[in-house]
Amino acid sequence: MILIIILLLPIITGLLLLPLKNPATVRIIALTAAVANLLITLGLIISVPSATYSVNWTHFMGTQFTLGYDGISLIMILLTNLLFPFIILSGFTRSHIKIPVLNFLILFTQSSLLGVFLAQNAFLFYIFWELTLIPVYFILLLWGGENRRAITLKFFIYTLTGSLFLLFGIIYLFTLTPGLHTTDFSAFNQLHIPAHTQNWLFWILFIAFAIKMPVFPFHTWQPSTYTMASKQGVMILAGVMTKMGIYGALRFLFPIVPEGVLYWQNIVIALCLTGVIYASVIAFRQSNIKRLIAFSSMAHISLMAAAMFALNVYSLQGLLFQVISHGVTIVALFYLVHLIQERTGTLELPQMGGLKHVAPGMAILLLMAVLGSIALPMTSGFVGEFLIITGLAKQSLWVALIGGTTMILGAIYMLYAYQRIMLGDSNPAFSKVQDIRVLDYFILIPLIAVIFVLGIYPQPVLDLAEASVNSMQKLLGPAGEVISQLTH
Amino acid sequence: MVASIPYITLAWLVPAFPLLGFLITGLAKNRLKNNQAGILASTLVSLSFLISVLLFFTMKSSGQESATLTLFNWISAGDMKIPFAFMIDHLSIIMMLIVTGVGSLIHIYSIGYMHDDERVNTFFAQMNLFTFSMLLLVMGANYLILFIGWEGVGFCSYLLIGFWFKNPDYNYAARKAFVMNRIGDLGFILGIILLFFTFKSVSFTEVFSQAATLQTGAPMITLITLLLLVGAVGKSAQIPLYTWLPDAMAGPTPVSALIHAATMVTAGIYMIARSSILYNLAPITLNIIIVIGLATAILAAIVGLRQNDIKKVLAYSTVSQLGYMFLALGLGAYSAAVFHLTTHAFFKALLFLGAGSIIHAMGGEQDIRKMGGLKKKMPVTFLTFLTATLAISGIPPFSGFFSKDQILTDAFENNPVLYVLALGGALITCFYMFRLLYLVFYGNQRLSTSHPHESPRVMTIPLIILSVLSVFGGFLNIPSLFGGDSGFSEFLHKTIISKITAELDNTTEIGLIIASLILLGLVILLAYRTYVKKAVVPAKDGEKISVFGRIIANKFYLDEIYSAVFEKPFGFLSDFFYNQIETKILDPIIDEIGILTSRLGDLVRKLQQGIMSFYFFAMVAGILLFIIFILIV
Repeated sequence: MILIIILLLPIITGLLLLPLKNPATVRIIALTAAVANLLITLGLIISVPSATYSVNWTHFMGTQFTLGYDGISLIMILLTNLLFPFIILSGFTRSHIKIPVLNFLILFTQSSLLGVFLAQNAFLFYIFWELTLIPVYFILLLWGGENRRAITLKFFIYTLTGSLFLLFGIIYLFTLTPGLHTTDFSAFNQLHIPAHTQNWLFWILFIAFAIKMPVFPFHTWQPSTYTMASKQGVMILAGVMTKMGIYGALRFLFPIVPEGVLYWQNIVIALCLTGVIYASVIAFRQSNIKRLIAFSSMAHISLMAAAMFALNVYSLQGLLFQVISHGVTIVALFYLVHLIQERTGTLELPQMGGLKHVAPGMAILLLMAVLGSIALPMTSGFVGEFLIITGLAKQSLWVALIGGTTMILGAIYMLYAYQRIMLGDSNPAFSKVQDIRVLDYFILIPLIAVIFVLGIYPQPVLDLAEASVNSMQKLLGPAGEVISQLTH
Repeated sequence: MVASIPYITLAWLVPAFPLLGFLITGLAKNRLKNNQAGILASTLVSLSFLISVLLFFTMKSSGQESATLTLFNWISAGDMKIPFAFMIDHLSIIMMLIVTGVGSLIHIYSIGYMHDDERVNTFFAQMNLFTFSMLLLVMGANYLILFIGWEGVGFCSYLLIGFWFKNPDYNYAARKAFVMNRIGDLGFILGIILLFFTFKSVSFTEVFSQAATLQTGAPMITLITLLLLVGAVGKSAQIPLYTWLPDAMAGPTPVSALIHAATMVTAGIYMIARSSILYNLAPITLNIIIVIGLATAILAAIVGLRQNDIKKVLAYSTVSQLGYMFLALGLGAYSAAVFHLTTHAFFKALLFLGAGSIIHAMGGEQDIRKMGGLKKKMPVTFLTFLTATLAISGIPPFSGFFSKDQILTDAFENNPVLYVLALGGALITCFYMFRLLYLVFYGNQRLSTSHPHESPRVMTIPLIILSVLSVFGGFLNIPSLFGGDSGFSEFLHKTIISKITAELDNTTEIGLIIASLILLGLVILLAYRTYVKKAVVPAKDGEKISVFGRIIANKFYLDEIYSAVFEKPFGFLSDFFYNQIETKILDPIIDEIGILTSRLGDLVRKLQQGIMSFYFFAMVAGILLFIIFILIV
């Protein structure tokens, strides 16, 4: 029952908001719902180790509407419900454009994301997976920036194309299930698919997730979409939706096509590492801060994807820890980027400089978020990336070396951007810029606190992740032995 | 773990005080007035020093070698367990005493030096944060805690080099320092990871106790020590990662004294000395360290000959002295390296603080060609600076003599060629230091506009204390040749295992010392004749100098070479990836696919009269139909 509440609380609240008129009321109700959902989630994490909820849903596919969670889902749910209150709070501005609709769409996104993470059935998973696109499509289209029509369309078609492969894969798996066909994950996990089938099925399933994360070379929708997206849009996309790709890959690939994973492992790691270097190098010369952060996010996500395919306990622990860490850091960074744009009216680095003179508070908070991003020890980014690089080194020292270059390249482009924005002589164009306001503190201080608290005391999340890694190894089924051999 | 040293449970206070100082001065920086931040920061670091002293004496009297204080479990993943723990042993207590002792003197000095700066409170917050990180570095009980401090000090160094953030050159210098350190840090962290794979632990006690089982020269241990060395090379500014240190002089002078002379840059030496057991198993690595150390010592000293900025001279001198410490490490004379580290902390901090006093008096002028004749105007600064110059030049009985002589003797035992090269470097050091001394303090005042004056007492008292340490610091470790007991080396000898065992016979050793002293005397005479008697002033910028001189004055064009080989191609690659591959290849391919799809979409859209929401419902319905279709067929 509690899972149904977590799943539906946002969307029902969202529907109730639609007839309301007063923007302030709408925002407060939306925020209350999101915070309540976070508290319920935290309560769930503390009290109930795992739960499933099932009702008979469709008969034509012989499947059940099954919700449940394990460690992996729990991390994702925690991330979603942790970030959405801040995403909603960041809309507490003077803007009055269609506030009820906007908050409805945001809460709609939250529910569909939670559905993705809670679904215990591949078909249900797919429905929620596609459902997330609908509100996000409108958020991008209605609140986006320059050139939003073309970019949104591209984003939409891109991800939809990937999804179609996934759908095909699900249907194919469905036909393989014995007896009365089913799309339950538990049934999929029991399938013993021949190795040569796994080899092509791997890509059918992986494409959708590779696009969502994104993995090189399926990333080309991402920089322009992030750059164009509104503040809340980009926070949702970068903070949570990229993690859908990671979650999907963990849920589908390893238990269902383990031999395919082992077969393609090195190729995928090579693609991911290419993405790390490629995105980091590109980030260095971007003049638009948002695009720079977009490429930086791609570099970090690529490293996480590489960690996933290193298939050992350190890399998986690091990956799941980094899911939270990256989500929080990137949301803080994008919020700050938008703050800078709102105050200075520009996103272009060449027009910036000397902002620290008039906005010292903003400068300190930006620097702290940057530290999380470049994985300085005592930030959460360090714990995650250290475990990831350890896991990569288990695979090969060269892989770790290439993946580890993010430490250097990240420092190069992030500190460059920080310098271009904040440092230098005072800028006459910014003389009237206001520093951080109360609302900004309410959003940034908690997010940055999470970055540092998890950097100093990461164990609670690592414990959650440990349960996930264990549960994944349980799910692994036939290849479980192969993979556990790899890890020991 | 059971606390085996009395008061060990107080050890956490040592880093906690500066952390507290950072938090208070950082959060209340807009409220603290006058010298409040400086006094608070200095007091807290001094308290850390007092606790370190207490720990030192209880440690000595209890006869305990080491003790560990575990605070909490930091990272635990799979079989990886990394506690947040401190370890106090003979090596770390020495480092703690240096960091908090020299550190508190520099903090006190800064009260005077930074008095007029509008961001003085921020300055002290960052200095305290640095001290905290440095203490984590030297007190950490495992390589990963050491690494927290290691990167923490690098970050504080970044902040403080770019302290005057209006100047883009300073900001660039700060970034350069951080990035070059990060290059080393990547090697370091990979080394730590391999340590973990090899020993299933990164804690010092476990790694070192298991290391004995490994064979000398095993490939894995060679690889690990090389990777750790990469980190040390970056942090301790050795070839090829040293060019950040001279640029780091952009920071306020007390920063140069604390971070870029006395403490942070010696972290690499500390780390290798700490890992002596591992390095003893890797003779190849040790030989590489000898080459790096000696090459850095000589090259930096040569560059120092032609620098005209007082801080740049000292910076190259620091690089060079760090090279000597590396040489000692490579020879396996770890305690000699730590001893030189200690005396260097005294006299180099003193030199920088003296330079700060001079710059303060000259109204910000740093060019030694514009100084001169300051001896009478600034007697305290002059006398203290003189003792430091004598110490760094290795004149007995000043501290540098004992520490450098030990390294030279160890070099001779290994190979007389090393000795000759190292002695050559020492002679160059002596020359550029006396060149500096003579140009600044002797002759006539060359810049008529300024009115130099002695610095206030809050600055001169730290100078005097450091001067006393520079003079007498060498007595900590008087070798048996002079009837001493080598107390410093003995204190360390159970913590770090030196490789040097053979002793030179007394006649040879005395011969070497006398020879080197005669040469040093000649060099000082030469400097005196050139810069006092003939009153030669180095050429102005743009004046014609010899080709060789120009190469040296331009630091062997290393910055230009790095820029051409790394920075520019990197920018080019970035543009190429974005403008060519991303924009012209990857993106169009997807667009082509997209255009095809949207043509199909156009057909469908005609059916929908452009109502977006309907489109979605159609989509979901379509998916369902598709499924049903497949199920039926």
